[in-house]
Formats: sequence, structure tokens, C-alpha cells
Amino acid sequence: MKTGAGKLAVGLVLVLVLVSLMNCGSARRSDPTGNPPAVTTESLRTGQTAFMMHCHQCHPGGDAGLGPALNNKPLPGFMIRMQIRNGLGAMPSFPEKKMDDATVDAVIEYVRALRKG
Amino acid sequence: MKVPRLCAVLFILAALVVSGCYALRTSSGGGQTEFTPPRQVNAKDVALPDGYRIEAVATGLTFPTGVAFDHSGAVHVVESGYSYGEVWTVPRLLKVGTDGRSHTVVAEGGRNGPWTGVVHANGRFYIAEGGVLEGGRILRVEPDGNVAALVEGLPSYGDHHTNGPAAGPDGWVYFGQGTATNSGVVGEDNLKFGWLKRRPEFHDVACRDVIATGESYESRNVLRSESDEKVKTGPFSPFGRERKKGDTIQGRIPCSGSIMRVNPESKALELVAWGLRNPFGLAFSPEGKLYATENQFDERGSRPVFGAGDLLWEIRTGGWYGWPDYHAGEEIFSGDRYASPGKPRPKRLISPPSTPEKPVVVFGVHSSSNGFDFSRNHAFGYPGQAFVAQLGDEAPTTGKVLAPVGFKVVRVDIRSGVVHDFAVNRGKGNGPASFLGSGGLERPVAARFDPTGTALYVVDFGVMMQDKTGAKPVKETGVLWKIHRDGR
Repeated sequence: MKTGAGKLAVGLVLVLVLVSLMNCGSARRSDPTGNPPAVTTESLRTGQTAFMMHCHQCHPGGDAGLGPALNNKPLPGFMIRMQIRNGLGAMPSFPEKKMDDATVDAVIEYVRALRKG
Repeated sequence: MKVPRLCAVLFILAALVVSGCYALRTSSGGGQTEFTPPRQVNAKDVALPDGYRIEAVATGLTFPTGVAFDHSGAVHVVESGYSYGEVWTVPRLLKVGTDGRSHTVVAEGGRNGPWTGVVHANGRFYIAEGGVLEGGRILRVEPDGNVAALVEGLPSYGDHHTNGPAAGPDGWVYFGQGTATNSGVVGEDNLKFGWLKRRPEFHDVACRDVIATGESYESRNVLRSESDEKVKTGPFSPFGRERKKGDTIQGRIPCSGSIMRVNPESKALELVAWGLRNPFGLAFSPEGKLYATENQFDERGSRPVFGAGDLLWEIRTGGWYGWPDYHAGEEIFSGDRYASPGKPRPKRLISPPSTPEKPVVVFGVHSSSNGFDFSRNHAFGYPGQAFVAQLGDEAPTTGKVLAPVGFKVVRVDIRSGVVHDFAVNRGKGNGPASFLGSGGLERPVAARFDPTGTALYVVDFGVMMQDKTGAKPVKETGVLWKIHRDGR
């Protein structure tokens, strides 16, 4: 079993890896310039619709705009969920009454599909 | 360190990394660049879906804003005659020469631009005259070039102008009327736009009676530059004048933030919809329904609003669309969603006259989603979908962005609300050609299909740089592009 200090070290390494991966590659995923995800399942369609209504305006197509790009950031799903639910900095929070858990799951799935391109 | 605490630290660190700590980052708008004429134009720098091709059919235009086709299908464009940055030229309706450079002047305007758009119907052109100095007008241009006003005296002296027009299936001419201000309160930002000094009594005009909440905003008295005097300004009021709680703000027509229509024969004027901010593009769908793009709130002035994406609406006759207190049907005066970072949230200004409508689509914040048209021909593809020109951000004047927003043409599936890029500049990132150092799109402001429906014409306003003092437009950099399917 790892000690507290060991866990902290693992965490810091994780952060450093995230930093090193930040902005790797283009965040563009549009039809003409990249490989947009094939939206073939119902949950991806739900995620795409919710993304368009709530996320697209600050992260157009997952690219940078008012906010930072999403498509080139290797955030794990639980962190995407925490940020959606709690907000951070200039990003607002999206509580349950605005986006239920199933929709958050679908948005995470769509964001991951966008990232893969 | 306990695991939950470690997770929290990790989350905050990672999220800070990912968010790039918004407050510390400087703005990086598409207009925040440098440009040395002449503009390079190269269709190969524009990316389209497979099977489509783009070409420049006219170059060297000065502030073009609209395209239309006469009864023979001949291509015409309007040059605005005015640009943000207080640059004045002569508004013109031009018949585009086949060589792309030599054009015939069909009609000219006076010093009352910007001409914001044009449509051809029943053998005549109709032009929306923005009306910065003399008020907005809808002009009718006869085939011999004779110009007459169908309606005049529209409240266009402010930030936003008279827009459109679109020819309705009922024979009326529909047009948009933008608001005087960003969010209902005249302030220092309006001095920067140039009009507050010219018309210190000008303000937004309500379409129907509304009740004031009594909120007002304090600002420096910018009309007395040597003074530290403070003044308070209420909604729908001249600079420095308050509104008391319960005051009835008198409505009248013509009014700000609305869509109106005029009968080209009787010249009767009617209100169609209100509670809009800057309804710029109007178009009828193949089913005959009216849609409008709306430039939404900026993060500027006494009442800045953060993070409000531009919208596409289906317009319902008599509908109220929420300005100045709602965005996309959401209250901007509740929660933290619309508060500019480090500033209090906007206060509610009026009692809502009805429940605001809900939009079809939300576009990028500051994308300036403008003129658009619907595909009607399977030969072009995507029938029933809308093609929207996005002028692009005007950061930092309208608010900070972390990367250029807009500067492209997007395709909108109005049934699902999904937005797809359609014509964009090539490169690792997004932006206007001047920002990317390429020969592609600069600032698309309008898109319209030709009468056959097989070619989409895109009006590119040209280079307009931005800095903290405002817009820096460059004459003779406008381009008219044509997009069509390969081999058609």
C-alpha cells in the first residue's frame, strides 16, 4: 500500500504529464480540417446535442474560443465531470437541474470522441 | 495527505492547467494582428468538405456586406460605406464584373451608412441603410438606379444599425433593427463607438410598454472629459438619466432590438418580433418560416455580460426574445453564469413582458454570426440546412477571447441544433487570413445561394484589425467568394 507521500508524488507526476501533454497537436476537429467523430449511437447524439447547447459557445467544436481548447487536453472522465458539476474560474457550474447525470455521461463520451478525432 | 484532499489538489491543479487560468491570460482575438496591404487571396488556403470548391469572384471591395442576384442572375454586392472605427466611404450597389475587378455602379448612398445588406425581389433591389448619422432606412432601388426610401427615421444612431433585409413570401420586406447599446444602459463604451458625443440624448427605444425595476448604473461622466463627476444611467434612457422603480418605459414603433416589416406598396410598417439585441441576418426557410441570427451581449460598458453566444432564432410573430435581461431564454441576472470575471452579475432592468423564446442554435461567444441562407438544392447538398457567415470576434473591444472565434462559414442542422464548420482557413488553429498569414477567408459577413441554388456566395468584409482603442478596418480588402460542388 502506498504512503500519503507516495500518493502525492504519483499525483504530481500525473499533473506534470498533463502539463507536458497540454496543447499537443491541433484541437481542430471540423469536417474540412480534421476528423470529426462519427456520431453513431444514441448516447453520442445526446452528448452532441447537449454539447452544442451548453459547451460549444465557449469551446467551439471543442477548440479554443472564449475558453480553452478541450480536444487536445487529456483530462480523465472524472475530472471532466467535476469541472462540469463545479465549474472553475470563468467556467460556470452545471448543476443537476440543468444537466442530469445521464446527460453529463453523454457529454463526457462525446468530448472523448471529439478528442480522438 | 489524505486521498480526498489529494484528489481535490490534483483536480484544482489539473483544472488550472487545462483552463489556463483564464484571468491571467491575455486576449488573443483574430483582429489582434498586424496587416500590410495588399491582401493576398488564395482559394487553396480555404478548407471545405470533400467535393466542394471555392473561388474568389471579386476582390478589392471596400467593406462589402451583402450579395444579391437580379432577374437575369447577375451578381450584385453592396459596399457598406461605413465601418466600425468611424471610417466613412460611399455606400454603393455594384454589379460585379466578370473579370472580378471592374464593376458597374448601380446606385450610391450618402453619408448615412452602413448599408448592411441587399435583396432582390419583384424586379427591384431593397437595401438596409444602417443610418449612423441620419437614422436607418429601407431603400428601394429601381432598375434604372433610382433610390427611394420605403421607411426612414429608424433608431440606428447607436452601436447597432438597420439590418437585413429579406423578402417575405407575403410580399413584405422584413428587416432587423439593432439596439443602441450592449445591454440597455448607455455608458463609456458608447463614447468609444463614436456616437455618444454626436448624439448624447440617444438611447434604446422599447417596442411595447415595459416596467423598470429601478436599477441603474454609475459611471464617469464621459461627456465631460476633464471632470471626475459620476452619473447614474438607467435602461432605455439617455446617458446620465435614471429610471425609478415602477416607471413605465413607453414603447413605440419603430423601436430598437426588433424585427419589423414594411409593405413595399403602401409603406405600412409593422412590428414582427422584439426583445432582440442585434438581429443581423434574416432568411426564410424553404418552408417559408422566418429565421434570424442575433449578435449577443458583449463584455463591455456599464453592464458587461460574460459568455453569451450568438443565437439563431425561429421568429414567431409577436414573440419577445429576452433582451436586455435574458440570453437564450436564461436569466442573466441570476447565479454566476453571466458575471464578467471579477465583477458583479448584471442586474435585472425590466419586468419581463412575457416568457422569452428559446433559440434553435447557440454559436460561439463573439463569433458575430451574421448573414445566412438555406440550401434548397440537392445538387449543392444539405437541403434545409442553414449556412451562416461568421464575421469573427472583435476582441478586445467586445471582450477577451483565448483564441480567434468565427472567421468562417458554418453549416447548421436546424432540426438537431448541431453546428458544423463548412468553410474554414487551413492551419493548426482558427483565425482570419491576416492572423494566420494566409490568403484565405478574412471576415465572412453574409452568405447567399444564387437563384439556381447550386452556388453559395460568401461576402468577406475584409481586414478589420482590433486593439484597445477599437476597430481598424482596411479599405479595398473585401472579397466575394463562390462555393460550389466539383464539376457542377
